[in-house]
Amino acid sequence: MLDILFIGLSLGSILLLVALGLAITYGAMGVINMAHGEMVMIGAYVAVLSGIWLRASLLLAIPLAFIVTALLGLLIERVVVRRLYGRLLDTLLATWGIAILLQQAVRLEFGLSFLGIHVEGLGAGLQNVAVPSYLQGTFRLASADINAYRTFIIVITAVLTLATWFILYRTAAGMQVRAIIRNPKMAAACGIDVKRINAMTFAFGSGLAGVAGVMMSGFKTVFPDMGTTMVVDGFMVVVTGGVGSLFGTILSSGLLGEINALVAIGTNDILARAVVFGVVILVILVKPSGLFSFKGR
Amino acid sequence: MSIERKFQIAAYVLFIAVIFAAPVFGDEFWLNRISKYLVYGMLGVAIALTWGYAGILNLGQGLFFGLGAYMLAMSLKLSSPTSLQQGSDKPVPDFMLWNAEPGAPTQLCCINKGSFLWLPFQSQSVGLVLGIVLPVVIAGALGMLVFRKRISGVFVSIITLALVLLVRLIMVDAQPVTNGFNGLTDLGWLTIGGIEFDPYSRATYYLCAVCLSLTLIGARLIVETRAGMILQAIRDDQVRARYLGFDVSLYQVFFFVISAGIAGVAGMLYVIVAEFASPTFMDLSFSVTMVVWAAVGGRSSLLGACIGAILINMIEAEVSETEALVEAWKAIIGLIFVLVVLFMPRGLGGLAHDVLRQFIRRLRPGSVSSSLQQQSGAL
Repeated sequence: MLDILFIGLSLGSILLLVALGLAITYGAMGVINMAHGEMVMIGAYVAVLSGIWLRASLLLAIPLAFIVTALLGLLIERVVVRRLYGRLLDTLLATWGIAILLQQAVRLEFGLSFLGIHVEGLGAGLQNVAVPSYLQGTFRLASADINAYRTFIIVITAVLTLATWFILYRTAAGMQVRAIIRNPKMAAACGIDVKRINAMTFAFGSGLAGVAGVMMSGFKTVFPDMGTTMVVDGFMVVVTGGVGSLFGTILSSGLLGEINALVAIGTNDILARAVVFGVVILVILVKPSGLFSFKGR
Repeated sequence: MSIERKFQIAAYVLFIAVIFAAPVFGDEFWLNRISKYLVYGMLGVAIALTWGYAGILNLGQGLFFGLGAYMLAMSLKLSSPTSLQQGSDKPVPDFMLWNAEPGAPTQLCCINKGSFLWLPFQSQSVGLVLGIVLPVVIAGALGMLVFRKRISGVFVSIITLALVLLVRLIMVDAQPVTNGFNGLTDLGWLTIGGIEFDPYSRATYYLCAVCLSLTLIGARLIVETRAGMILQAIRDDQVRARYLGFDVSLYQVFFFVISAGIAGVAGMLYVIVAEFASPTFMDLSFSVTMVVWAAVGGRSSLLGACIGAILINMIEAEVSETEALVEAWKAIIGLIFVLVVLFMPRGLGGLAHDVLRQFIRRLRPGSVSSSLQQQSGAL
């Protein structure tokens, strides 16, 4: 039983890593970023490429992926998202277009494949990342076999969640973000540079997705379309938890992860995902504002 | 009748005339391809109806399309030659026989646990009726749940999205009954009143053309009724419409159901034309792709969304002839989509509308303003 709960916890922490960035961008900026899953994908490819070309380990790929995806997020915000504030469903559509662009960019190796150049690690094929030996295998804890890599994921997620909490609740910039979540116009009237903070928030959320991608690359195959299911799962978590609530996102990712793991043990993975979707639909129907939301003003 | 309205009617008449004249220009193979695009055009209309006129962005339209497709495909599967030639007098789908446990009776009732569900589909009319009834009933139930609870905006999108993925997973998981990932292939032909609808025949093309024309005209007429006007009022300001005493959710459910019905019929037509039904109909990307067609064509223009769907697919087919461009085309579609949302949110339909206005103003100075006055007087 303990090992099943542990698997659920690790599934939940992957969900949390993906959803954390979405929760901030959606909550603070009112932007539904469908390209968020592609940030996960790009993060995974950073791990692949840095493994092949720099011979760097997975650990080094984490900060690298954060920087790459954060910069990419900044670019997307500056070029596209900035023009769409206040048009929620349009952000969904435009970022879906960006998502397709990013997928095709990786698949076509940034257009190099037309010139007959092949970059190892890119392209339409499947990629794998080697996990360092000290993160492989299992160890025993209280009569349960605990997978080392899953533990690693949980630890990284905990660290990043704590860092996000610290930034949001203990720094000046975080306070401004929270002010924008509550009421963007009032925040702007109080002298907060909403545009600048939004751009930074978007970049930070994208960076978190990039790190999630590095984590994913350690136990899943990496391919250009991997992000699509990620972003759907992430949104389910955010909406279930309650928009704009960091606490709600944490709890709901744990909840959905555990449900997934428990049902998967009893039946199979496909039905487990179906049950998770069912739970999400029920939650939205019963409490559209999410399980742990606060009132915006 | 204002001059603008005359142009609009002319556009509808022209479009319908073109699709009925199309068989003159190509062979059967080309017609089969165009039939598919006409089906996509129906999906464009269905999306424009809910999105443009009701403000409901349904990201799960593929659910209704897929259900319609599967219902008819089950009937057609049972009437296919391979299902009939299994050594018994009752048809059994081939995939059930391949996976049957040794000693299981080769009867539809009991070859596996779920196969009895197929029994009603031995009659093609059951498949035809269920192909529209099931989407409509599910849309009605979902609409009642969602709109009565005053859920709106992005939450509707997420519920519909979650539901289509949920049903897709169940369909894939119920492999013994639905053939899972492989879907239903090798189907027979639909026969209505002695006419066999060979997918590569003119009869099938005209079936699609008639359905699309009826959908377009019907949708256009229904949005111009009082109910359609109230629906647009709800889209613009839900709270105000509610305070004016309208039963907001009733109108939303009604149009949601109509849109689902159109998608169900489109699914059935697709099965007739393409001869397969697959769980990919319920993929997230297909449902979003429909929205892309409608957005490029013009989300609040029924004809625009329809033409957008047909046009994008025609260009895609042309481009895909060159193998190197297949993947590049997807990138181009992504780029077009971003640009349309950013700079042309009303799509081709909106563009045509603006051009027409300019044209009329040049033609007859003052006529636009007078028609505007008439409109404001009517309001």
